[in-house]
Amino acid sequence: MRAKVCNLLNGITLIGLGAVLLDFFFTGRLDRYLHPQFRPWTLVGGILFCVAGIIYAAAKTTAECCIEGECVHQNANSLMRSMIAFSVLFVPLAAGVALSKDSYDQHAVLNRGFVEDITKLPGRTAVQPPKIANDPVIPPQALGADEDERASEPLPQNTPAPQPNQDLVPGGGTDQANPAVPSPDEGSAQYLPKAADGNVALEVTDLLYAESEDSLRKMFSDKTIEVVGQYLPGSDPKQFKLVRMFIVCCAADARPLAVPVELSAPTNVSEMGWVKVVGKAAYTKNGDRVHVVFKADSVEPTDPPAEAMLY
Amino acid sequence: MSWFTFTWQNFWYSFLALAFEGLPFVLLGSLISGAIAAFVPSKIITGLLPKNGVLATLASGLLGLCFPVCECGIVPIVRRLINKGLPVSCGVTFMLASPIVNPIVAFSTFAAFRGQAPGLNMAVRLILGYVVAVSAGLVVRQLDPASILRIGAVKIPARKRLAFSVTPLPDAETIGFEASFQGKLIAAVRMACDDFIDTAIYFMIGAAVAATFNTAVDQQIILPLSLQPMLSTFSMMAIASILTLCSTSDAFIAATFVSFPIFARMAFMVFGPMFDLKLFFLYSVLFKKRFVICLGIGLFVLIGILCSRVLIYLYAGQGL
Repeated sequence: MRAKVCNLLNGITLIGLGAVLLDFFFTGRLDRYLHPQFRPWTLVGGILFCVAGIIYAAAKTTAECCIEGECVHQNANSLMRSMIAFSVLFVPLAAGVALSKDSYDQHAVLNRGFVEDITKLPGRTAVQPPKIANDPVIPPQALGADEDERASEPLPQNTPAPQPNQDLVPGGGTDQANPAVPSPDEGSAQYLPKAADGNVALEVTDLLYAESEDSLRKMFSDKTIEVVGQYLPGSDPKQFKLVRMFIVCCAADARPLAVPVELSAPTNVSEMGWVKVVGKAAYTKNGDRVHVVFKADSVEPTDPPAEAMLY
Repeated sequence: MSWFTFTWQNFWYSFLALAFEGLPFVLLGSLISGAIAAFVPSKIITGLLPKNGVLATLASGLLGLCFPVCECGIVPIVRRLINKGLPVSCGVTFMLASPIVNPIVAFSTFAAFRGQAPGLNMAVRLILGYVVAVSAGLVVRQLDPASILRIGAVKIPARKRLAFSVTPLPDAETIGFEASFQGKLIAAVRMACDDFIDTAIYFMIGAAVAATFNTAVDQQIILPLSLQPMLSTFSMMAIASILTLCSTSDAFIAATFVSFPIFARMAFMVFGPMFDLKLFFLYSVLFKKRFVICLGIGLFVLIGILCSRVLIYLYAGQGL
């Protein structure tokens, strides 16, 4: 009798795990937790958990599953072990379904620290040296790359490396140092993705990548840009950080990326709430590094994007 | 800002992410382990080994490629194989190497380090695990088995502290299930589920600790540990021994310690599957306490030196 109860409890534990995994997969909540490559495994795991749990609970009960006197599967016969397994495996996941808000608050973001150099992120590489002088600069979004994992990774650029003494990023116009490179306005700027209201729609990563890429800075300058991210207030009410989380595998390895934003007047947005910021990107050189500051014309709450994480 | 800021929102989010990512892989490893236990007689494993002692030790380190078992399941298997005549040195090598040198761990390591030189990290982990395991096996070969094996290890009764140890490798004809394919299949699923339940408990505890550590602790605090090669390497090994993660999924957690250098995280992934808190108790079932302690210290020092003095140059050469 005890063995039957243990079988049943262990089976319920496994089926429960499968149910939680399948629930997260089919409701779409899983999208906020895992990189797209790992999501199918959750589906497979959920199905296997359910099947295995049913077989386990329904299988004929045996006193031991191993050689007589050497069985170490005590959870097969110990009600206490089965209850511990249920409590440790199923209960936390079930509680998570009810209690998780599917996002981090500002404490986790601040504890993790912001990524200082986006090119140092896993899988990120510095801009490649030029290959063909006249190829236009095309951001990945222009090629529809925002639907896959390379959404925030710019294509290898073809412009010469920034000059060491180059100061504030110039505006548009033909590259005087290399006339063969077309003006961003004349060439690839037309490929920049546009929002519904006609503004250039960029990601936080695009603005940060431009810190290390002259051609991107030229392309972004003087454009009215729209960026979506999470609002992290600063000490000055006229400044805040626009945050996006970058993940490699799952939300547990998420790293915050942030663009500082300057406002003309304080705004009233909830911490880590999603906002749409419209304005212009300004790049200034500080030592060897170029830093972006986003001069916002407007900040308004918005819905989270379909993919809350960047990959 | 305080160095420790715990919130349930952050905990649940990080914990669930780890669980969703790792649990399917733990289940996959358990299913393979159960299938091997039910369908592959253990005499096949011993029959594969060369007669020469050194060659047999070298070959034992590769057995995990054919018989993938995580560290939680390896002790009962080794105990049984030694009972059947496997040399102790081969048993120790198999015990230490199999949790790392197996296709499941190779796959999960590759997947976890996606975007962080996955092929290189996978190869380094397997090679380093193999080298360390074989080194330990060759040292054990010089010792008298009676001086390291626990008295009565050849017939070990069920013990309370074995409650969460798993995966013996019973010969199919001795486990009391029908010899039919269906009977073996059900036996395989049952053993796989028992293996999963036992190992996943440790995984969930480790995920909870990792989630707390990764979200509540200000990373600036541990930054000094990650800056010095020796310190970061031994710190990560100490963390691995406390977290007691399963080797099939520990790479996913190692990959999250992004503030630590890659060679320190490699030490985490090689030392953890070979020696952690739960393995200390499991090893004590088969070996004398003194040997277990010496084994732990030896592995700690050897892996620490290899990672902080050798791997550091390898990774530096690769620009990592």
